[in-house]
Amino acid sequence: MPGATRLRAEPVSLVAAGAVTPFGADVDAFWSGLVTGSDGISAIERFPVDDLRVGRGGEIKKLRALPAARRVRCRATQLLLAAAEDLLARAAISAEPERIAVVLGTALGGVEQLERAMAPGGRARHAAEALYDSPAHALARRLGARGPVMTVGAACAAGATALGTGADLLRADVVDVVVAGGYDALCRFVMRGFDALRSLTRERVRPFDKRRSGLLLGEAAGLVLMTREDAPAAPRLGRLLGHASASDGSHVAAPDANGRGLELAVRWALDEAGLTPDDVEFVSAHGTGTLVNDRIEADVLRRVLGARAAAVPVNSIKGSIGHTMGAAAALEAVMCLMAGREGVVPQTLGLEEPDPVCALDHVIGSPRAARPRISLSTSLGFGGCNAALVLEAVDR
Amino acid sequence: MSGPAELPAAPVVSGARRLAGTAVEAVTVLTGWGEGVQALPADAARAAAGRAIIPLGRPALEGERFRRATRECLLGVAAVEALLRESRVSRDAVRGSATALLFVTGGAYGASNYAWVAADAARPAELGGKGRAAVAGTLHFPYTAPSVMSGEVAIEFGLTGPYGILIGGAAATIDALWQATRLLEAGRCERALVLAVETFEDCAELYARGRWLVGRPLVEAAACALLVPGARRTRYDAPRAGSALEARARTRAGETLACAPLIALALGREDGATGSIGVTGEWRGRRAGLYWD
Repeated sequence: MPGATRLRAEPVSLVAAGAVTPFGADVDAFWSGLVTGSDGISAIERFPVDDLRVGRGGEIKKLRALPAARRVRCRATQLLLAAAEDLLARAAISAEPERIAVVLGTALGGVEQLERAMAPGGRARHAAEALYDSPAHALARRLGARGPVMTVGAACAAGATALGTGADLLRADVVDVVVAGGYDALCRFVMRGFDALRSLTRERVRPFDKRRSGLLLGEAAGLVLMTREDAPAAPRLGRLLGHASASDGSHVAAPDANGRGLELAVRWALDEAGLTPDDVEFVSAHGTGTLVNDRIEADVLRRVLGARAAAVPVNSIKGSIGHTMGAAAALEAVMCLMAGREGVVPQTLGLEEPDPVCALDHVIGSPRAARPRISLSTSLGFGGCNAALVLEAVDR
Repeated sequence: MSGPAELPAAPVVSGARRLAGTAVEAVTVLTGWGEGVQALPADAARAAAGRAIIPLGRPALEGERFRRATRECLLGVAAVEALLRESRVSRDAVRGSATALLFVTGGAYGASNYAWVAADAARPAELGGKGRAAVAGTLHFPYTAPSVMSGEVAIEFGLTGPYGILIGGAAATIDALWQATRLLEAGRCERALVLAVETFEDCAELYARGRWLVGRPLVEAAACALLVPGARRTRYDAPRAGSALEARARTRAGETLACAPLIALALGREDGATGSIGVTGEWRGRRAGLYWD
């Protein structure tokens, strides 16, 4: 746009990450599961699914018993505390409590506690824990954070927007440290919902494949420790260069048919990063494995990347661990940075025969040797939510 | 598939037009007491006369599209509609990618979530349910997502710009107002709508159990502020004490959770404060403040 005065936003350091996923209790297990092509999908055992069409998902079978979580009954909070344990084992948080923020994305919050609250014998505290922002406040208490505690409710795009919001807090010098990310727990509430919408596949998840027939849900939590570039701790994982969120304004539960909102989010995020599509070396796609999402997303990526769309590696991790909703974008951001650091891009599990309408440079069959420095991560969610992150990996 | 038409590269305000700060152009308030701050009683607790919840009716909006929409979705639409009407801004003026939408709620998703869980409990007893009549069907599931409330607003008004959704009480609305000022100051939008919606009646029994978390009376509300580029820079901080406007909004409106700071803004503007103004909000022990100095 002529006369534009937008300035490149200050990059933000991503110092360390923590995660709990269907692959295990830390980031190492997450990364190892991705690059070894492990399948994190299994039969759901923690709650009844017998009456549902589909009873499989990326369920975490065992959570490490943590002293901090001993009295916590909310599954979502348990996941967050487990991810925080991993994060804290990798990096110390050193800042005044008032200068530490917690910004988390979620699609469901503590909603499983609502099921408990409404069951016979349900207690008042279950109802309070069911508020979508309760897990974020529980994590803030665990971390001793007394700065802003924000819960981003942008459905399955929430994790990306949470990282972006965290970056804004740092750029504005509101805080010195942000613990940002996303989480969601599998529960009957959401399984029944997606099952009723016929969004879940009875087969395996096959993002961008000719035979794709739907998604499977997963549960996870992913966190990153963020600081300003001038903070004493040198960046260990990478940088967040740009982010943007945009509304479709077209449908409450389906993406815009032309992907307008997603395209805007991608272009604005690149703009904030001071980069162009020519700088993108890898795309972590939302790639749910549904007919509509994958086609629209591929269209958007081809429009944005232009001729380079045939040569920029693209993957989706949802074939490996399912769609982890609020956690998805945070985990995908971590994956982007790990790919750049380790020199390998994980494959899209379940993708065997790419659908021609989803033609991109998909990573199929096995991990690809590549060391992407600049990555783009895309996310979509109910309510017409779209978000994009532009990330920069740093050498080991 | 053909590409979308007229996709803007970025809604950047040109350098010549860009102002250093922001301004609150308009604020609209709908509450269980009526429309506008003039409908608020002097003392909400006294006016409630022992009622725990002061409800706000389902807006009568026309259109097939709204047939399945929840009351809380319609309240969001009604608040934006009222804002445009009162400030004499046309729908065309806000349509498109140059308008940001920031939505906040502490618990308006409770109604749809409650209905969804209740419907699950209605499944046959042999499947672990109670065999009661279902109250929410398949198509209601998307409406359990908080983002669908803002999604309906975005659809209705054609809002395709920067988008944010925060979950929380009054402090979260301060955060959303701050985000709106950031977007405006960075030139990422030309105007920003900050919308809050709170409903309580549909899951009143849960709020009755959680009395320690929220005050009384609980007053259903929907409120919206329009922010535009202006001359005043903002300060965003964490004050130890609430502002006089926060206390006044609480006294006059009752407990409105995320709507409270917008009600406070409206009260401040009613006093004639169009320039320097500050609002604060507290939720779960955290207080945030935003000041147009």
